[in-house]
Amino acid sequence: MSDKHKPQPMVDEVSDFEILEMAVRELAIEKGLFSADDHRRWTEYVHTLGPVPAARLVAKAWLDPEYKKLAVTDGVKASLAVGVDWINSPPTGFGTPSDYCNLRVLEDTPKLKHVVVCTLCSCYPRPILGQSPEWYRTPNYRRRLVRWPRQVLAEFGLQLSPEVEIRVADSNQKTRYIVLPVRPAGTEGWTEDQLTEIVTRDCLIGVAVPKPGVTTNAKRPVHPAVHPVHHDH
Amino acid sequence: MAKSDKHHLDSGNGWHGTNVAPIALLENIRRHGKAWEELSAKYGVANPDPPWRITLDATCDILAGDSSVLPQHMVVPGSCALPSLERRAEEDDLSETIYADVPFPERQLLALAHSMIRHGLFNEEELAEQMKKVHERLTSA
Repeated sequence: MSDKHKPQPMVDEVSDFEILEMAVRELAIEKGLFSADDHRRWTEYVHTLGPVPAARLVAKAWLDPEYKKLAVTDGVKASLAVGVDWINSPPTGFGTPSDYCNLRVLEDTPKLKHVVVCTLCSCYPRPILGQSPEWYRTPNYRRRLVRWPRQVLAEFGLQLSPEVEIRVADSNQKTRYIVLPVRPAGTEGWTEDQLTEIVTRDCLIGVAVPKPGVTTNAKRPVHPAVHPVHHDH
Repeated sequence: MAKSDKHHLDSGNGWHGTNVAPIALLENIRRHGKAWEELSAKYGVANPDPPWRITLDATCDILAGDSSVLPQHMVVPGSCALPSLERRAEEDDLSETIYADVPFPERQLLALAHSMIRHGLFNEEELAEQMKKVHERLTSA
């Protein structure tokens, strides 16, 4: 082994949270709430998920007008071209419990910007976009986006001119959304792989727009909810 | 993790009606547990999520059965161990009250355990005993 080969750093202690997660899972199995085999299959499936398929779907749509038509009319069918089978891939065979297999692809235009939220909980198109970010789950984002979308997008660093209409898509038990943003200037002649790299998770949720040279999501602060929990309603 | 008690409530209900009275076992973890952001910084690990986040999500998914697939009024009571909408509503309440100072996804984990105890899927003593067994297993050389 070369002297230059160093092991990757790793956490070398057991935390109470790690123990708690295992204990909860093992107790659930012991109580018959699910089987160890079911859990293993779910875990393996969830491990395969990430935002790249959705980014590739967008890149393909930018390059191929026919594919773009398919994407905006039948997101589930268009997903097959990027390796995501909403119906048959998850262990249930009917989508995941939290990601029902009805994907809608929302096409932005220079005068129309879509952004996705789940006001009720944190519904998210995981089969094609992976795990939701922490801020997406917060009541602060969920409550405020529908009331003040322009202000919230500005907090994400996305300043939209007043003539751009903003449409907020509220995910629910039946339908999940991703945004098909406008292809940015400066990407003429790019390959599908190059385009895929600039379509970040945040672009697909709609809180950012693709930019040449930007391939990662900005770190987002998470704010506590403005409203206290002890409401009368 | 933060040890602040400023959001700490001794009892009461959250916005969704969740019983947010602390559970001693989980309260102890909240106070003394080391969250991933602390551990990863200490050991120089770049992964933003703890290795157990995926298994936690899988647990939540399986407990939910098809309750997220169906409209709420079509979910048959008792058809799944912990309906996802209830769990998420309770997580919201708990995240804004007794677990407000806990980072994510540790907060999600505490809320799940809290909900499972409150729903009677297991009790606090059983969870404490199972944690003891897991601890012994993981720390035995």
